Amino acid sequence: MTAFHLGYGTNGFSNHRLDDALRLIADLGYTAVALTLDHHHLDPFADDVAERTDHVAALLERLELRCVVETGARYLLDPHRKHHPTLVSDEPERRIDFLHRAVRIAADLDADCVSFWSGIRPSDVDIDTAWRRMRTGVSMVLARASALGVRLGLEPEPGMFVEHLSDALRLREELGAPELLGITLDVGHCVAVEPEDAASCIRRAGDLLVNVQLDDMRTGVHEHLEFGEGELNLPGTLAALTEVGYSGVAAVELPRHSHAAPDVAARAITALRAALTPVLPKNDDHDAEWVSSVDHPWLVEAEQRVRTDPAAVRTLFPAVGRKVGRAPLRPESDPQGLVHGTVDDLARTRLLAALAEVLDGRALGAEVAELYRYGDDAERRGVLRGLSALPDSVVSTGLEIVRDALRANDIRLVAAAMGEFGARHLDAHSWRHGVLKCLFVGVPLAAVVELSRRIDDELLRMVADYAEERRAAGRAVPADAEKLLEVGR
Amino acid sequence: MRIFDPHIHMTSRTTDDYEAMYSAGVRALVEPSFWLGQPRTSVASFTDYFDSLIGWERFRAAQFGIRHHCTIALNPKEANDPRCRDVLDVLPRYLAKDGVVAVGEVGYDSMTPEEDAVFAQQLQLAVAHDLPALVHTPHRDKLAGTKRTLDVVRESGLEPGRVLVDHLNEPTVAVVADSGCWMGFSIYPDTKMDEHRMVTILREYGTDRMIVNSAADWGRSDPLKTYKTGLAMLDAGFDESDVDKVLWQNPVQFYGQSDRLVLDELPGFTPSGETFAGNSVLRGGGSGGAA
Repeated sequence: MTAFHLGYGTNGFSNHRLDDALRLIADLGYTAVALTLDHHHLDPFADDVAERTDHVAALLERLELRCVVETGARYLLDPHRKHHPTLVSDEPERRIDFLHRAVRIAADLDADCVSFWSGIRPSDVDIDTAWRRMRTGVSMVLARASALGVRLGLEPEPGMFVEHLSDALRLREELGAPELLGITLDVGHCVAVEPEDAASCIRRAGDLLVNVQLDDMRTGVHEHLEFGEGELNLPGTLAALTEVGYSGVAAVELPRHSHAAPDVAARAITALRAALTPVLPKNDDHDAEWVSSVDHPWLVEAEQRVRTDPAAVRTLFPAVGRKVGRAPLRPESDPQGLVHGTVDDLARTRLLAALAEVLDGRALGAEVAELYRYGDDAERRGVLRGLSALPDSVVSTGLEIVRDALRANDIRLVAAAMGEFGARHLDAHSWRHGVLKCLFVGVPLAAVVELSRRIDDELLRMVADYAEERRAAGRAVPADAEKLLEVGR
Repeated sequence: MRIFDPHIHMTSRTTDDYEAMYSAGVRALVEPSFWLGQPRTSVASFTDYFDSLIGWERFRAAQFGIRHHCTIALNPKEANDPRCRDVLDVLPRYLAKDGVVAVGEVGYDSMTPEEDAVFAQQLQLAVAHDLPALVHTPHRDKLAGTKRTLDVVRESGLEPGRVLVDHLNEPTVAVVADSGCWMGFSIYPDTKMDEHRMVTILREYGTDRMIVNSAADWGRSDPLKTYKTGLAMLDAGFDESDVDKVLWQNPVQFYGQSDRLVLDELPGFTPSGETFAGNSVLRGGGSGGAA
């Protein structure tokens, strides 16, 4: 579906043997890996590094994993000082030696690139000196990379000397724009420290991108988060990668989640796949092939219009069904789209995400409330399903909307209200009544997101009473109610 | 007989009506926004009504296998009340909706200057939103009102082929036939027009641009008048293709100009009896009251 390769970083599997990590990553469906060289993961200083590299290369080939080499190991060079020495340290030799070794390994693994950062400028080193050191160090690594035909990716890193994309681009210019020197971009970093969003950074880096790291983050906080926990617009970011024609590795970067790596990696690829689901061109031929990599041109244009003129959403939002279709996303298992939603739901989520890129919290809340207020059934459903793609600033607006929908009797609205946003934000009482309402009106409980996590004794009591009431009236008890009570037993 | 009722106020009707209509062959309808009997006093009661026309009523009709569409406008009677006129400001939001297939009902009630202004303004909304217009003709002073209506339509620049002039009778049909607008007839139990007079008009004027509706609402009216007109046509020697033209093809052609008609069968439609806990329409309350 995508031209680029979804991968996972081995630094998020630091409690696993490298071979095990690679197999797990491949098994989950990733087609790439970002390999962080470390003392226990293909140690570049080991005596038998050549043999080990051959072994890893063979395994990558067998697992059909594409790879990039990462050099951000914490205590590989100095057991006392994290990341030390760096390219801007007084004595950067050991760092440069390491990067040379990484280039050799990348060549042997047939990796896309070696990714690296500048390091933190020591307080006693002035900016000019640091800049000079960067130029010298990068030139030395470039010389080695040129000899072996390996590309380098300079990664701007929050808190480090080369912190912003603009710094990295400037350094590259000063070095004469060497062809082998590209950019590694962490999209979470864009949220944390860049003046513009990740999609804009991707467009700015354009064809200089050689490596992309995927994770969520909040503004101003350099903490790698799982998708959905921060403010990243994941669908918009991935769409921007497609837009600029990126064809390399885009790997999840969650170095502090190793303790639960298999689960975290599984959640990540689910989120990525959901964000990548393309909205297909309207096709009147029902037998037509539904799998397609083509994004809907009307939607792409509509997103751009919303970005430049947010008020345009008021006329675009109602037109979505007419333009992109209304089919359920998974017609075989979910013919009414109650569980997984419909094509127009998905398209409306993307318009909301575009709106969130350009409006601040208060304006966004007001616009979303109006879209719901003046929306027909389909638009209201679109708002409900899109709420989880919006920043926390609209949570209170979102809750008002969800509560309104739970008062409705249109089962499609009730189903959409019990989606991801409802699961995350509804208080226990309202949520339980929402579940019960689903049983009453015939919404399959599969539509209730995180049912098993939120289920509690009070809900089970309510469902048991409901079942009892049905039996007393001589009516059938819905299968979903029976199943729920079974689970609770 | 497949029937498209191009003018019926389902908000005022029961689920028995929906079932009877489905049995008679009604598969699609248009519900024009109109006066509710009780005058409204604020914009908010209009928007709640419009929301129902694009939301709840559409959903309710679907439960009975019928595709529901609507037209949206400030009706002529309430155009005279300054408390209601601000609804004109929110109309553009509604005219963008999926189920909205025309601007309407617009036109005259008492032919006041306020009605003049609001009528002309709403015809411009139809032009701006690329929608046809459904025009109501007055109950009193009908011929003069119809002529004035056609003048205003001409001045609007809206093509006559995109205008349906409704509630016609023997004295008013000729001027509308000459104008190029579509001709609508509301078949009522004892006012406006009945099915036998309708057949006579069809004999005289032919079936082109002819549209028949029940206009059933909260007054004495019959949602099966479209069906009964079809039977009267057959009795009078029209063939089934003539009936299909008047009761299906013509309204589809007229409202189809909006590009927003959805006429495919509702997926998996089966009349909902037991499905929804014994309620005749989904209420959500089950045996426990309102959910």
